[in-house]
Amino acid sequence: MAKPTPTLYSIAKTFMWFAIISLLLLGSLVAIVLMDHSREWKVWQKKFVAIKTERAKKELAEAEAKVDKKQLATLAERLKQTQMERKSQRAEMAKTRKELEALEVRFAQAKTHYQDQKQFQDSYRYYFEEYSTHHDPRAKEFQKKFQTISPKVAAAKKEQDDAEKLRDEKAAQLEDFSAKEKEVKKEIEKLLAEKRLVQGKLDRVKPTLAKDILNAPMLDFLKPSLQVQQIVLEDLYDDYHFAKTQKVDRCTTCHQGIDQKGFEDMPQPFRTHPDLDLYLGSQSPHPVEKFGCTVCHSGSGHSVSFTDAAHTPSGPEEARQWKKKYGWHDLEKWEQKMLPLEHAQASCAKCHNDVVEVPQADHLNEGRRLAAKFGCFNCHKINGFEERWKVGPDLTHLSGKVDEDWITRWLHDPKAFRPSTQMPQIFHLSNHQDAADRERDNAAIAAITAYLVKNSEPITLMAAPIPGNPEEGEKLVKSLGCLGCHSVGDAKGDSFGPELSNLGSKVGADWLFTWIKDPKHYSSHTRMPNLRLSDPEAAHITAYLLSQRNESFEKTSIPEVMPEVVDSLILESFQGAMRAQEARAKLDQMNADERLEFLGKKSIAHQGCFTCHAIKGFEDQKPIGADLSNEGRKDIHQLDFGFVPIEHSREAFIEQKLKDPRIFDRGKIRSYYEKLRMPQFNFTDAEIESLTTFVLSLTEEQVPLQMRKRLDLKEERVEEGRLLVAQFNCNGCHTFDGKNGTLRELTEDPGAAPPVLDGEGAKVQEKWLHEFLRQPTVIRPWLTYRMPTFGLNEKDTQALVEYFANLSHEEASYKGHPVPETTPEKLAAGQTIFNQFQCVKCHQLDASSAAMGASFLAPDLSLTKKRLKPNWVKAWIQNPEALQAGTMMPSFFVDGQTPLTEILGGDAQAQIEAIRDYLYHENGVAKA
Amino acid sequence: MIDIFKNFVNAISSPVVIFSAATAVFALFVTFPRQATSKPVSLAVLIGALAFFGLGLTDKHFRSIVFMPDNVPIVGLIFIFGYFTWYAMRKAVINDMRVERGEPTVEQTETNEKVLVFPYLIFIEFVTALAYAVILVLWSIFLKAPLEEPANPTVSPNPSKAPWYFLGLQEMLVYFDPWIAGVLLPTLIILGLCAIPYIDRDPSGSGYYSFKGRKAVIVTYLFGFWILWTLLVIMGTFLRGPNWNFFGPFEAWDAHKVVPLLNVNLSELIFIKWLGIGLPKQWFIREAPGILLTALYLAVPPLILARTKLKEVYKKLGPARYQIMVFLLLMMLSLPIKMYLRWAFNLKYIVAIPEFFFNI
Repeated sequence: MAKPTPTLYSIAKTFMWFAIISLLLLGSLVAIVLMDHSREWKVWQKKFVAIKTERAKKELAEAEAKVDKKQLATLAERLKQTQMERKSQRAEMAKTRKELEALEVRFAQAKTHYQDQKQFQDSYRYYFEEYSTHHDPRAKEFQKKFQTISPKVAAAKKEQDDAEKLRDEKAAQLEDFSAKEKEVKKEIEKLLAEKRLVQGKLDRVKPTLAKDILNAPMLDFLKPSLQVQQIVLEDLYDDYHFAKTQKVDRCTTCHQGIDQKGFEDMPQPFRTHPDLDLYLGSQSPHPVEKFGCTVCHSGSGHSVSFTDAAHTPSGPEEARQWKKKYGWHDLEKWEQKMLPLEHAQASCAKCHNDVVEVPQADHLNEGRRLAAKFGCFNCHKINGFEERWKVGPDLTHLSGKVDEDWITRWLHDPKAFRPSTQMPQIFHLSNHQDAADRERDNAAIAAITAYLVKNSEPITLMAAPIPGNPEEGEKLVKSLGCLGCHSVGDAKGDSFGPELSNLGSKVGADWLFTWIKDPKHYSSHTRMPNLRLSDPEAAHITAYLLSQRNESFEKTSIPEVMPEVVDSLILESFQGAMRAQEARAKLDQMNADERLEFLGKKSIAHQGCFTCHAIKGFEDQKPIGADLSNEGRKDIHQLDFGFVPIEHSREAFIEQKLKDPRIFDRGKIRSYYEKLRMPQFNFTDAEIESLTTFVLSLTEEQVPLQMRKRLDLKEERVEEGRLLVAQFNCNGCHTFDGKNGTLRELTEDPGAAPPVLDGEGAKVQEKWLHEFLRQPTVIRPWLTYRMPTFGLNEKDTQALVEYFANLSHEEASYKGHPVPETTPEKLAAGQTIFNQFQCVKCHQLDASSAAMGASFLAPDLSLTKKRLKPNWVKAWIQNPEALQAGTMMPSFFVDGQTPLTEILGGDAQAQIEAIRDYLYHENGVAKA
Repeated sequence: MIDIFKNFVNAISSPVVIFSAATAVFALFVTFPRQATSKPVSLAVLIGALAFFGLGLTDKHFRSIVFMPDNVPIVGLIFIFGYFTWYAMRKAVINDMRVERGEPTVEQTETNEKVLVFPYLIFIEFVTALAYAVILVLWSIFLKAPLEEPANPTVSPNPSKAPWYFLGLQEMLVYFDPWIAGVLLPTLIILGLCAIPYIDRDPSGSGYYSFKGRKAVIVTYLFGFWILWTLLVIMGTFLRGPNWNFFGPFEAWDAHKVVPLLNVNLSELIFIKWLGIGLPKQWFIREAPGILLTALYLAVPPLILARTKLKEVYKKLGPARYQIMVFLLLMMLSLPIKMYLRWAFNLKYIVAIPEFFFNI
């Protein structure tokens, strides 16, 4: 075989390559290890160790400074002395120690001997018992053995005890030599205890060589001090599309100080959670080991790098900073990105879903409130918010209220009539800006107006019997309680109902008179209550409200509508449903009025007017908005960002949509009926933020039942009531359940304001409350404000009664509350006290004698028996301040002591009961 | 300047242009192998390719596609396939020249220098294996496997792409019914490859690189490999974006891109467009032209060729092997034919029988 030539085969060259590649392979192995070892989170953990070490050092210095140096010096001196003393006794000590050693040996021997003997004894006993049970003759033998050894065991035991005693005595003797020294040492330790504690802490946290070795590459599998921290959450799951896995949050790997107090001022990721009382703390309702982090904040809990954890910046500025600082980029593939901090409350709704308001989630609550107020639930189906009322007025009898021109002008620009209106702008928006679309909008508006007028049912209106006086009317509007829902002109009231300005340009006198006399006559479903106005009152108010006009609105011109535009819109609406010729034929069958009405119906259906307003002919129509039940989890690819250059995230989409609902049509060619149709609400930035939080909170994600806030029956009833309270705006007047009444706030004299209803359930009897809600009666005659008649149905009335009872932790009972047993003496005493305390001075029956001012007036006591609960009356007399802070009712029984020592033996409790009994007695108050 | 270049490339990027251009380049390559593998030309091609990639990398979209961890192997594949084709052809050209001059081939001169497989070859292979290990390790370190979002069975990724080695088949789906592109053609490819040694039993030119003596065979194989497989893989990887739309190399992959689809079946072309009589109701009448055409395509060329151009081949192979060979060749050619029919006439199917899911 020939030797290979170097051109084809060179051993030297091959070896050289072998060497090079081996080195490269080694290099690549090192690279693997280093790559595996160097982790982003370790950098943070090291930083945190440095911070903690720094802190411990500082604490140590502080602890050191606290040590009493003088005392320490004296103690050291004493220690030296005692040590000297001990040294002087060295010879004696040596002797004692030797003796002790001898005694130790003796004890050890004795102990061994005893244990040996005991073993034999136990064994003999066993055999004896065993054999004798089986009648074995050997039993005797063992009995004998047992008997012989027993005294020996006893003797051995004695010897052991003796030796032990001697040894202990000797040991104590030896101890005595150094007793004093030990005492001093103990004192020194006590002085240095705190320092030692801090020192121990420092030793635990500070980096050491041993720790470095354990953290070194290849060795870090043993017991590294730097390691991934994780919280495995037992009852929470990550939903990976039809596959659920237990949630594991590793956020604390970097956020090391998140659940520890004292890192509030640290930069992220070490900062303490801003609300440890509510979150993370072991005593909080959301302890970290049960809830983790991502269930609220979202993001990828498994990941331990800044980018992979799906952190979301609060805005483009922060995004830029992050890119620079951490090389952050948007985690395109991860659906559940972290919620930006301002929207974190969206997650609350996952578990707190059946409540009107989530405690402490003001942002989310505000969003929900706005959504209800602006009728989002009317157009959009959202799970959990189905049973909502139509927010717009009933248009069934529209032509009795306003004329055609007003409707047309209003539809063109509602804000021109009333800038504060809730009615959104529907026409002439950003995607209808070209001339042709403007024409079409004009036609649609005219058509809607025509439809509404034509389909308006007639209604009988009453005329005011006397001419009203506007000044009188203004006074009435301010004093009767209209401001609890409405603002009128300069008088700012609650913004719940529409602002009542410029009504002169809108409605007629007869309609307004009829409306305020009985709102339900015009609209059976209205939330506007009946204030039981007398004819003159209603006439005055009508005169006042009609005195203001919006002249510039009245002057706006109504654009001409071209019939061919109407026709083209009708034809366009037929597209897809029928062929052009058929559509044409159908159009030709209609006359001009019919065409307008037809287009009106089509436009109302298209724009969804009927979702907020009751309109004849649309009773069973389905709402037009998209189902938002899972909007907070909607696939981003399903959101049509069109050509709008914004960040492709849910929150950016929602915010943009709320800012300009039609913007995503920009740059698109779409036919009139294909264009986006969500109306423009002109929300403020703050409102948009809250609403975005709300929309983000809408998810169909199922948190396991045991992790959710579940309402008990009581809470459920309270929530039911809260919804009604929101619906009828009880807080427009009354202060209760943590909310201030607007009217109460507006009234300077608290005595003249609508009453506070905190504790109402404990105070009044359910039967009475039920009657009162259906048919309010006068309790405080001096109040000018009137409790309106809401026309509540039986179900709602009961729900409200239950609500108040449960809010005060009472069981609602319609059986009545029995009048307590009493004696004539007690009644007499009650009357005496009643007179002595001069109760009637404030609890007047005749309001006109109220010379002292409204603050000193109190409710009619003759109602007590029917109205109040006996237990409450007792508690109230005892300490009114405890039940209602700031009440004018004086406390007669301060600290449970009575000022009247001679009545009923000076027994405060008996006296209170006497007053109560007197109030509940048949003719008690009437007699007074 | 660069933008003009990019726009130009994007504008001419379409399956028909790329396929035709590649075929033309291929034709040039096999027609002038000596010039094509000469140093100046091959260097120029290499530099050109590198320059194209270099320039391309300045573009955001090009970069994002080329550097997608899934696609990096395909970039390597282009250069490696190219290199080996060039290498073999260059050796073949040299040998052909030597044979022309009456000299022995390179391989024949080397036969005297044979060494044992073990340890000599094994050693080199071992070193090479180590080198591959290093490359794989470094690759995995610097180009991490992408971890994507949790799989969602209700959402299909767009574009949905097969593994790279199947992208050629996926590209065929554009032109053929799934059962042809996904079942029949792959089966024929495998069977055809298996059949090669039984069809081509000619020992001439074996044992050394050569081209001249085996021109037809090598050209056929390279056409199948480069144009009908590799080119389709490359197009499928780099130029097919969302909704399997075709994108230029410097074009953003817009999922909303809308391209008109106007494909019609042969029956519609004939009965509606040309004859103007409407589609016959019975499928066998309706599809008769297509069926006839297909039958003619498979039957006539073998008969004619056996008497004309391939007379010698027919003699050499005998009827059975000849028939198989021509059938396989015709099937292979059916792909470019169908592609050009599509591009020229928007032809969807030659035979379309939805009544029992049979489409050609």
